[in-house]
Amino acid sequence: MQQETFDRRQLSRVRRELLREQRALNARRFFRNRQAVFGALVVLVMLLLAVLAPVLAPADPLAQSVANRFAKPGEAGYLLGADKLGRDLLSRILYGARVSMTVGLSVGLSSMVFGMIMGLYACYYPTLDKILMRICDGLSAIPSTLLAIALMAVLGSSIYNVITALSIVYIPRMARVSRAAALTVKEQTYIEALRSQGASSFRIIWGHIAPNILSSVVVQASYNFANSIITEAALSFLGVGVPAPQPSWGNILSEGREVITTAWWMIVYPGAATALAVMGTNIFGDGLRDILDPHSN
Amino acid sequence: MLNYIFRRLLALIPVLLIVSLTIFLLIHLVPGDPAAAMLGENATQEQIDALHTAMGLDLPLPLQYLRWMGRLLRGDLGTSYFMKGTVNEILRDHMVPTLQQTAVAVAFAALVGVPLGMIAAVHRGRAADRLISGFSTVGVSMPSFLMGLGLVLLFSVKLRLLPSSGYKEIAVAGWRTHMRYMLLPGIALGFIEMGLIIRMTRSAVLEILSADYMRMARSKGVSRVRLFLKHALKNALIGILTVVGLSFISCLGGAAVTETIFNIPGIGKLTLNAVMRRDYEVVQAVVLVVSLLNVVCTLILDLFFAMIDPRIRLQ
Amino acid sequence: MGEKILEVHNLTTRFATERGEVTAVQGISFHVDRGEILGLVGESGCGKSVTSQSILRLYDERRDVRYEGEIRFEGRNLLALPEKKMRSVRGGEIAMVFQDSLSSLDPLFTCADQIMESILIHRKISRAKARAEAVEMLRLVGIPDPEKRADQYPHELSGGMRQRVMIACALSCRPKLLIADEPTTALDVTIQAQIMELIRDLNEKLNMGVILITHDLAVVSEMCTRVAVMYLGQIVEEADVVTLFEHPLHPYTQGLLRSIPTVKGGKREELSVIEGTVPPLDRIPEGCRFRPRCPNASPLCSGQMPGLKPVGEGHRVRCFLCGGEEKEARS
Repeated sequence: MQQETFDRRQLSRVRRELLREQRALNARRFFRNRQAVFGALVVLVMLLLAVLAPVLAPADPLAQSVANRFAKPGEAGYLLGADKLGRDLLSRILYGARVSMTVGLSVGLSSMVFGMIMGLYACYYPTLDKILMRICDGLSAIPSTLLAIALMAVLGSSIYNVITALSIVYIPRMARVSRAAALTVKEQTYIEALRSQGASSFRIIWGHIAPNILSSVVVQASYNFANSIITEAALSFLGVGVPAPQPSWGNILSEGREVITTAWWMIVYPGAATALAVMGTNIFGDGLRDILDPHSN
Repeated sequence: MLNYIFRRLLALIPVLLIVSLTIFLLIHLVPGDPAAAMLGENATQEQIDALHTAMGLDLPLPLQYLRWMGRLLRGDLGTSYFMKGTVNEILRDHMVPTLQQTAVAVAFAALVGVPLGMIAAVHRGRAADRLISGFSTVGVSMPSFLMGLGLVLLFSVKLRLLPSSGYKEIAVAGWRTHMRYMLLPGIALGFIEMGLIIRMTRSAVLEILSADYMRMARSKGVSRVRLFLKHALKNALIGILTVVGLSFISCLGGAAVTETIFNIPGIGKLTLNAVMRRDYEVVQAVVLVVSLLNVVCTLILDLFFAMIDPRIRLQ
Repeated sequence: MGEKILEVHNLTTRFATERGEVTAVQGISFHVDRGEILGLVGESGCGKSVTSQSILRLYDERRDVRYEGEIRFEGRNLLALPEKKMRSVRGGEIAMVFQDSLSSLDPLFTCADQIMESILIHRKISRAKARAEAVEMLRLVGIPDPEKRADQYPHELSGGMRQRVMIACALSCRPKLLIADEPTTALDVTIQAQIMELIRDLNEKLNMGVILITHDLAVVSEMCTRVAVMYLGQIVEEADVVTLFEHPLHPYTQGLLRSIPTVKGGKREELSVIEGTVPPLDRIPEGCRFRPRCPNASPLCSGQMPGLKPVGEGHRVRCFLCGGEEKEARS
């Protein structure tokens, strides 16, 4: 008995040390990976712009000025121009970043939390696994944009409903990723050893499997972050996402489409912001994946 | 092989059940009365009650589901409250432009993506690889609405080469005109998929190029060209076709965006209009049919894979 | 003994890696006689496989690898051969068997397809005839019911069967030299013995030279006529199998021999291990490469690298302290 507890303690100590070493190594690799650092910087800047939007924005994003309708960039103090109601485009893009970042972070986090819980318990309980995976199969059979549109139709357009709808769309993917990762961890010998020593399933799942699948989960979460920014913008562009007058990159672009022949700035600036945010997150995610899973490259 | 097909068909049943149940619950768990929501604020109580009964909303939920499923199994997708004709007819008419657009998109994505991915893999680590990989990162970060707007801005507004929107039927306007109108929406829709295809092809080919059986084949005296065409391509085919198949589905699902930009009367636009009007019957039908197409596509791909890879049949 | 079919002179193989160039094989020389079995032994990471794959030039020369020296096969220098001529050597005159039979056979082609592939490349015969030969090869390597097995895929066969299929692939064009790179490491002991038996059998029947790469000295003593021991990309000792087992000179060889379990006079001898591990290729020690792990190391050993010197009939050793260099220093 004495021996057993000793073994177990030692085993988990060794595991913890290994994990810590791995993390230190990963951190070093991260800073050596210029791509990942660049991606992280872009995301960080976007987050800062979003948080500081009220301070940075030169004007109220909703303040209209009929005299300055479609002011060109640089005209009348409109750095990036004005829209059809004479609202300052720069301020609207900055506030739009708030919407995108809120949606991206919320969906990234919620899909991470729920998907991970589902994946972890699915890998441990076969019956639950069958049920959950069938549901995930069913949900992922519906193309994501269409599912999101249908969900928005039912929920009604608002930023909170966008978050809910996109979480429903992205959780099944995360559940699959974390289940697959958890299954490979679960098959390793030390988990078997822990089980034979009578460790509780809660401890095995959260103390040993969860930390080991975190890397795959975080990588997937970063892709979900990027994809939900895209989908939010698409929904708002189609008029079923964030409702006007609240600015979102998608609905600014949608207004821009109507004046594409005359007011190019209505497309170019919010478009560049969207592309940059998505690209930054994608590059960050790729860098993260290369670091955490060197095998993939 | 027959055994495999049978097992695959059997495995479809729970998926289809979940899909139909999800779609059904989606509409019927709407807070409030769908009938009232459909008719809008100006409807009288009598109108609402009439529609309520007509839609079978008086029945308990499980019974409603069974009735709906019964109709579906007979191939009846229902009738639209707002549009003329049955939903079957409406869908059929709107499916054509979407399929044409999707075909252009997938063709573009695959024809550009697969060769680029292969070139990148063969030149791993060199300038060509870095250039192509960078391009694919740009690709996967370019959602269709951005790409669409950008293309219109460049090719229609600036260069005046291609029409900025509209749809021309092949039967009426001929192939050339049809394609002129389809090119920009197709590329816009397929661009992000092209990025994905480049990535997948690159990693699939890379993995195979370093496989032991490639070395073994080389030790038998197989030439490089044959090695690539015979062993590498056949082995990479599964990975590549999977991602091409997936791109077909996401294009179908994502067509709403490009159809809005380019004003194409396809199912995406139909869905959006139905959503705005709360024409739930049509929304249900579109989501169901596209999901069904997705499931069938996946099945066909899997059967094809089982044909080329003997290992799959055993699983 | 017989005529030399393969002569390797000063072969050096360098790889370009992210951290600069790495020398995996450093100036090795050896030869193989017609019909003999040469054993190439050493721990993993000592350059055995690199040597064998260098002989067939399997690495990507446009990118990864740089060869120096000479590999003479029946008089021709393989390293100077154009790619097209080299292709007819690969599989036609020199064939190779790899370690992992599951990953070395293409999963998407049947056994017959894979054997026919070499036949069709190297000989001008029809597909039907090639197929008949493939089946015949399967019979030759001892696969029961070859007609049926020919149409099966690699994953449908057992490990031992797959290894036999790979040998059938290699032998289908009657090569003059077979390179077997740890052909039995992945197999059960009984199957190992069968495969080794098969290789020796075919070696006699076809009068084909064999380079047998292994880390298992017991196998070497059973199979080989001569042995070359490699350490960190160099040959450290070379002798005929009797001499090597009776009078090993190099401390590394002695260490390897001591680590085989033996039973003498009913009492088990104590097993010894060689201290330390093989250092990575980018951290090769100065002087004698074995010095950090050598029990007899002296200051002499850290100064310069010992050469491979003859100490007797066909016996060469790379060590200052055990004959070769010492004798020379005295004379």
